[in-house]
Amino acid sequence: MIPASFDYHAPKSLEEALRLLERHGDEAKLLAGGHSLLPLMKLRLASPRFVIDIGRLRGMSYVKEESGVIAIGALTTHADVASSELLSQRCPLLKETASEIGDVQVRNRGTIGGSLAHNDPAADYPAAILALDAEIVAATSSGTRTIPAREFFVDMLTTQLKHGEILTQVRVPVMKPRTGGAYEKLFQPASGFAIVGVAALLTLGAGGKIESAAVGITGLGPKAFRAEGVEKTLKGKKAGDALFAEAARHAPRGIEPLGDLHASSDYRREMAVVFTRRALARAAANATGKSA
Amino acid sequence: MVTAEATPFVGRALKRKEDPRLIQGISHYVDDISLTGMLHAVFVRSPYAHARVRSVETSKAKVAPGVVAVMTGADLGTSIGMVPCAAQIPDMKAAPRPVLATDRVRFVGEAVAVVVAEDRYAARDAADLVEVDYEPLTPVVDPEKAIAKGAPVLFDQYSDNIAYRWELEGGDVKKAFEQADVIVRQRIVNQRVIPVAMETRGVLAEYKPGEKTLTIWSSTQIPHLLRTQLAAMLGTPEQFVRVITPEVGGGFGSKLNVYGEEALVGYLSTRLERPVKWIESRRENFQTAIHGRDQIDDIELALEKDGTVLGLRCKVIADLGAYYQLLTPLIPTLTGLMMCGSYKIPAARMEVIAVLTNKMSTDAYRGAGRPEATYLIERAMDLAAAELKMDPVEIRRKNFPKAKEFPYATPTGLIYDSADYQTCLNLMLKKSAYKKLREEQAKLRKQGRYMGIGVCTYVEICAMGPSSAMPAGGWESATVRIEPTGKVNILTGASPHGQGQETSFAQIGADVLGLDPEDVLITHGDTAVVPYGIGTFGSRGTAVGGTAAYKSLVKLREKLAQIAAFLAGAEPDDMVFQGKKIFSKSDPKKSVSFQDCVSAAYVAKTLPPGVDPGLDATTFFEPTNFTFPFGAHLCVVEADAETGDVRVKKYLAVDDCGNVINPLLVDGQIHGGIVQALGQAMFEEAVYDEQGQLITGELTDYAIPRAGDMPWIETERTVTPTPVNPLGVKGVGEAGTIGGTPCFANAVVDALTPFGVRHIDMPFKRERIWRLMNHGKMMNDGKRGSAQSPAGGAKRIASKPSKPTKAAKVKSAAKKSAKSRRAK
Amino acid sequence: MKLSGTQLLPASPEEVWKAINDPKILATSLPGCERLDPDGPDRYKAAVSFGLAAISGKYAGSLELADKKPPHSMVLKIDGRGLPGFVKGEGRVELHAKGAHTELRYEGEAQVGGMIAGLGQRMIEAAARKIVAQFFEKFSSVLSLKS
Repeated sequence: MIPASFDYHAPKSLEEALRLLERHGDEAKLLAGGHSLLPLMKLRLASPRFVIDIGRLRGMSYVKEESGVIAIGALTTHADVASSELLSQRCPLLKETASEIGDVQVRNRGTIGGSLAHNDPAADYPAAILALDAEIVAATSSGTRTIPAREFFVDMLTTQLKHGEILTQVRVPVMKPRTGGAYEKLFQPASGFAIVGVAALLTLGAGGKIESAAVGITGLGPKAFRAEGVEKTLKGKKAGDALFAEAARHAPRGIEPLGDLHASSDYRREMAVVFTRRALARAAANATGKSA
Repeated sequence: MVTAEATPFVGRALKRKEDPRLIQGISHYVDDISLTGMLHAVFVRSPYAHARVRSVETSKAKVAPGVVAVMTGADLGTSIGMVPCAAQIPDMKAAPRPVLATDRVRFVGEAVAVVVAEDRYAARDAADLVEVDYEPLTPVVDPEKAIAKGAPVLFDQYSDNIAYRWELEGGDVKKAFEQADVIVRQRIVNQRVIPVAMETRGVLAEYKPGEKTLTIWSSTQIPHLLRTQLAAMLGTPEQFVRVITPEVGGGFGSKLNVYGEEALVGYLSTRLERPVKWIESRRENFQTAIHGRDQIDDIELALEKDGTVLGLRCKVIADLGAYYQLLTPLIPTLTGLMMCGSYKIPAARMEVIAVLTNKMSTDAYRGAGRPEATYLIERAMDLAAAELKMDPVEIRRKNFPKAKEFPYATPTGLIYDSADYQTCLNLMLKKSAYKKLREEQAKLRKQGRYMGIGVCTYVEICAMGPSSAMPAGGWESATVRIEPTGKVNILTGASPHGQGQETSFAQIGADVLGLDPEDVLITHGDTAVVPYGIGTFGSRGTAVGGTAAYKSLVKLREKLAQIAAFLAGAEPDDMVFQGKKIFSKSDPKKSVSFQDCVSAAYVAKTLPPGVDPGLDATTFFEPTNFTFPFGAHLCVVEADAETGDVRVKKYLAVDDCGNVINPLLVDGQIHGGIVQALGQAMFEEAVYDEQGQLITGELTDYAIPRAGDMPWIETERTVTPTPVNPLGVKGVGEAGTIGGTPCFANAVVDALTPFGVRHIDMPFKRERIWRLMNHGKMMNDGKRGSAQSPAGGAKRIASKPSKPTKAAKVKSAAKKSAKSRRAK
Repeated sequence: MKLSGTQLLPASPEEVWKAINDPKILATSLPGCERLDPDGPDRYKAAVSFGLAAISGKYAGSLELADKKPPHSMVLKIDGRGLPGFVKGEGRVELHAKGAHTELRYEGEAQVGGMIAGLGQRMIEAAARKIVAQFFEKFSSVLSLKS
């Protein structure tokens, strides 16, 4: 890699990283797993003057349960999320989503915090983070704040994070009883990013009635979003293939999907419907313990 | 006396000697080599596909930190010759390419300047300071538009962009088409692809002013040819130029070339009197190393009602790109030679229009012209089968030449050496339980599931080749040297780069001399050490290079037999080499150890009269013909109508590459070839936009197959040795790439038959398949009607078509089928 | 790459027309515009520094207003070159009165070349849409401040 020259800092603590970030302002970029920033630097499409490598900070890679919430350190790699025993018991949807990211090399290096902060329009995590109503914790030298997922993703490559803030933790609610999740993804064959990725979360009540439904969709527009039309159609009705097919039709409503050489806008729209239906069916099966 | 050691090594599945060092990452590629005082070069390249270069301003770059030199095309003047092309087609236009552009750039990535600095970072930083003033010109991107009247012209000295027209005809084609009951036509696009070798190109040059020697380390497939060409380009006497090929991380034809960068880096080292290294980035590799394929073919097949093929006609528009690399113009003609495939077609004609466009040059990519030919004929056979409602297997079987008809002469002027297509096909049918597959397909279709079965029976042309048919020599050399300690060194002029010759040649050496493969070292890729050779490409390494080695080994065996017989008191003709001993067959007690016999040759005190000391033999082997391996492949796919996703359920490859030295290596070549074949069929496509920008410029947009995309590949073999060389081997490096693409394509089209699909152009992207499978739905959906016509282009024409050539001019398959519907 | 859209502006077509022809307002509205200097009638030399998250680059180029039919329509031409590559675009802008406001319709085509052209196909179109949207947003807010 032959990037433009930059000053490299490897702070020893989060506090030091925050101080450095404050000092260098928008000329600084944070480096965690490096899977978004380094390719851009290699092509010199990004040339930050300062690179602050937080990837070596200790104590920021963990998955633990704290009173009904799973707390995940920002530097936890996709591979660690995908292989977490705790998540497979308490929040399998997130675990499944992590296992669908890129390829083995990407999962071994990329981090959950890095992925969320970069907010690539085709990243996988945002779909699940939205469906799970997770929260994102950001730190500054003066304290921390917690941002709900629904407010976090602002636009393509843009989040609520401000200059001087570092994403430190992701907080995911434990999945309730009789709740099933599924992430269905159409891979872009070259990059492994999502052409469409749908994370569905369903809670079923007595007689298969849908008590709550949450659907996060990535890849379709400039940022991931909650498919509220789908959710409304499902709520209070009895789970079933016909309902899922009907509800899934609402998935792309209100979005003008992006088109590129891998998938036209039309195709993406249609695939959002197909993959939403599939995700719903599998989420329902997971909720009842049957495999779809 | 017959022991386990008597079992020959040839034919055994030995693991590759090369693998431990490659797997552990302890081998050496160009970039692993560092020399004291080494400088680094970075190129400044055109972002425009077509532009006039008004000026190149280097003053800022020259004074940047660490910069040693900045050079432009103007600075070079005539110091370096043009990029060489070894292929000549009659009446071909010249397309001269200087190593650095001077007044005009003709594709994105063409080099206009080079910066040399103390390290790569400084060179890259300074490259950004070179200011090039471009005057953009209208680019010519689409080859069909490029030959239309009024298209902008790439080279001002000409009035059009047609590089050459070439025709090949054998038999009475006109009559064949007049007599036909049925004519099948199709326009077929064989898209442009990028070879994507894992290691990009790299060059290191070291000029020693005292000795006046120039040593070039380059990641190349052809060290000797490169040396000759570099000597000519640089005006350096050839004996002062040495080319060393360290480990090469894949070539697939992309390093079967002489690139401007190789000459320029050599020149810079000579000028600056310091070593200079250039390592290509992936972006540069995509933009500036050769591309493959890129043909638009209009094929017509004339048949009798019973499926007998009477004739074949094909018009090819070949996109050569902006300039000629080493073999660029030759490739489409190989398509012509092989257009009849494995069928007895009495009359065939091909017309090639080779076109210059504002893109990187195409050249030999794994298969080089033959995959295109096979794709054409194999798709056409399926179209004909569909038209005649025949099973694709039956129409093929009907048109095979019989085993006893070999050697078989094709109307294109080739002589197929040896084959038994029938037996090979039968084995494929038996192993795949073909009939059962068809039954399963019918059952699934009733359930609304779309399974497809594709068949391909290919023949290819290998072991390139006799010199008379090659642009620069078709022979190969080998020196065998037995060292005084009894160890063997085979120096081969073929320069393997992943094919495993270090293992297979050692197996041959061990058998000839009665040793173990561990006793035999293969040395290659250094022009100062190895006698002149041609290189590894065109599946020639073992058939031509291996034969040269074999012949040298036999020469030494004869000499050793004389010495051993003399020492043991036996007859030279009676000596057997086995288990590191040389003994008399009729009286095995008369025995000498291999080591003692070799020592005698070097100590030279007990040699028989008339026998010279030493053990060294060189052979330049000239084959009498190409070889023609063949095979029968079968592919089963299932298409998902909801998404257009196509999954390969089964892939069976039955190949016949003649005798097999090492089945593991043969299987490896077949596997890799099929993966590349399916890669092209499934996803690969070098996409240039209307402005000539390569928008699949990185691996994030250019999809190559991953393990998870691939099926389990079953391999089987028949063995029909070639009479062309004493080893009976034919070559296998490209077979998978040649058979695999049409096999998969035929399977996908077969799966989509219920949707009225007759042909689909590659790559078979999900969206394309999905549109075809949802055509009706799309049409009902008003605003989204851009699906391809499902009717394809094949059509039945009345027994005497009035003007069959006219249809070939119709551009799109959709239009054509509309026309044929009207005709009915 | 085709780009089109509409934007409702809080001013009459005449006022909007005036604003588009005002280099100061253009410079304020153009995302990342560092300089916009007149270079002949209806032509400007521009220096733009554009950034989207980590991706950044400086471009030098020209902006031209052509085929002017006041206060109805014009053609906007931009041409920028920088280290990441080049951008070239041409778009038709039409103004239609909508009560006291103006509906601005634009339709154009942009080409990118060089390093940016070969990177992340899916990003380029989204980024272009975003830049255009930012321009009109800013333009609209400048207009509403004025009125």
